Amino acid sequence: MIQVQNLIKDFSLNKKQRRELGEEYKNAKTLRAVDEISFECMPGKIFGLLGPNGAGKTTTLRMIATMLKPTKGTVTVSNYDSVVEGQKVREKIGFMTGQTALYDRLTPTEMVKYIGDLHGMSKEDFQSRKNHLFDILDMHEFADRRISRLSTGMKQKTSIARTIIHDPPIMIFDEPTSGLDVMTSRSIMDLIRSCREEGKTVIFSTHRMGEVNQVCDDIAIIYKGRFFYNDTLDQFKEEMTQPTFEDEFIYRVGEA
Amino acid sequence: MKFLTIAKKEVIDIFRDRRTIIMMVVVPLFLIPVLLGTVFKITKSMAEKASEKQLKVQIYGQEYAPDLYQAFADMNKVIILDQIPTDSIQSYIQQEFLDVAIHVDSDYKVNIAKNGQAKIRIQFKGTDSFGITKDRINGVLKKFENQIVSERMDRLNLKPEVVRAYNINYEDVASKQEKFGKIAGGWFPYVFIIFGFMGAMYPALDLGAGEKERGTLETILSSPASRLDIVLGKFLVVLLAAFLTAFLALGGMAVGIQRIPDIPPEVLIVINEVLNPKTIGLIMTLVLPVAAFFSAMLLGLSIYAKSFKEAQSIVAPLNIVIIFPAVIGTLPGMELNAITSLIPVLNVSLASKDIIAGVINPLYMAEVYMSLFGFAGLAIFWCVKMFNWEKTIFRS
Repeated sequence: MIQVQNLIKDFSLNKKQRRELGEEYKNAKTLRAVDEISFECMPGKIFGLLGPNGAGKTTTLRMIATMLKPTKGTVTVSNYDSVVEGQKVREKIGFMTGQTALYDRLTPTEMVKYIGDLHGMSKEDFQSRKNHLFDILDMHEFADRRISRLSTGMKQKTSIARTIIHDPPIMIFDEPTSGLDVMTSRSIMDLIRSCREEGKTVIFSTHRMGEVNQVCDDIAIIYKGRFFYNDTLDQFKEEMTQPTFEDEFIYRVGEA
Repeated sequence: MKFLTIAKKEVIDIFRDRRTIIMMVVVPLFLIPVLLGTVFKITKSMAEKASEKQLKVQIYGQEYAPDLYQAFADMNKVIILDQIPTDSIQSYIQQEFLDVAIHVDSDYKVNIAKNGQAKIRIQFKGTDSFGITKDRINGVLKKFENQIVSERMDRLNLKPEVVRAYNINYEDVASKQEKFGKIAGGWFPYVFIIFGFMGAMYPALDLGAGEKERGTLETILSSPASRLDIVLGKFLVVLLAAFLTAFLALGGMAVGIQRIPDIPPEVLIVINEVLNPKTIGLIMTLVLPVAAFFSAMLLGLSIYAKSFKEAQSIVAPLNIVIIFPAVIGTLPGMELNAITSLIPVLNVSLASKDIIAGVINPLYMAEVYMSLFGFAGLAIFWCVKMFNWEKTIFRS
């Protein structure tokens, strides 16, 4: 379970950044990337974090994953505070982004073993979990080939395996399908669904409404660091005034 | 202990990188010996060529000193020319149609006869290789002059002591090792300092900026490893690369020296005595902290950079910062003292010179260690700070 309360993240600005941001930030010392947001992600459910580029999605997810420290507010992951008990939080999460984020000079087996070792998995646990994942992802054939020589699909499978090798109860997906082809995107969406079936807590950020409609139970729409919608997907559908999800999303972002 | 897991993975990763292997093993262990051997071979063959060159000489006023003219004419590999007009001499020499013009004064005979000084003017091109032309001409003139002096002394019934008032006997108490250390010892640290830095460069860029570029930084940051684990793991691997490269560079030089053609055996014996395991071991204790200093500094800068390319442009000017004190250390007269032993890189260079010469002052040596470990500690502290600083780690 993830609990986020009154979360704020300010980034300090240097001269160059102030100039780039224009008149509004001429005298500002900080930029508020996330502005007092609160939400809960429940086990067995998929929470969709929606927003255009630069809305604050990645910053929020990075704070949940303890990569960034909140300026104010709290994040609790499986009852561990993200600031005080960062390591405990990281033991519970699997983090995946759109990039495959793999080491080209390692093999899939070495890559997965590395993450397993960082999570302190025993030899036996690692071996059985690895065999299970390599079976269901059909990875045995290329398990010992250098990652640089793999196809995009093979790399994506490796990326999935390294994300879930330690069987984390919390899964964080930061725009996981961005830049991927239809086939590879589908395998990610399947993974997200299977995480829900396994009772994991899933938070999933995207700017594609279609994906939200496919998998999400709860959604929050974020724009300029603020939530202006946070409820179930069913409720969102009921409140829709536009013909499609995409139209509704663009309409609501425009209204915000 | 997660830093060991990280270090283990990074070792596998960087040792599979061809660039690291080339920089760490191939260049110091194979290229240095080949380069050393080749440079000396070329120098030797050029010197031989210059000494065997046919000298084109024109003597003006040969009629005033026919015996001197004959002495030049009897020289090996000399062509005596006699067609070049006086006003064209300079341009002939400059264009290398003529090597030497010797002008004998018209009063030559008179001056020699009355025990005076005969004027001889020599025009030559001072930029010719190794100054061999001047040496060859001087050789003939000296021989001839000695002969005249000797004849004069016989005539005047004088003993050689009349013109040589001192019988000087120099006794050098410096050992061969000391002399070698002071003269050539500076180049050893110069090479392994540079190589230590270069050896750390690629792995540091790859493990910092490279990780950002590949997008793998988030993978490792979201793992249970702490930032300190990540920095330590990466730092240890960069340090290993720097240390190994410096060590192999030293080995490469030891091998390279053996390949120098016609090296006098007594010099070779001194070199082999100097490069004993104890000296190398002692030098390596200096290389370790200086390599740690380089590694932490490069890793910190690398994690600051947005990309591998930016990291390269940040790190490139540092080469000069490192080379400068290393070169200063090779200069004659630069000695290890209470102040120089505190300046990083320069202190390694000077201390290594003294270690090779076998005259290291233990007090200064302690100061060098103190300075190096101090700077290495500061650099590591700064590097950890860089990894903990959100603005650096997510700089884009």
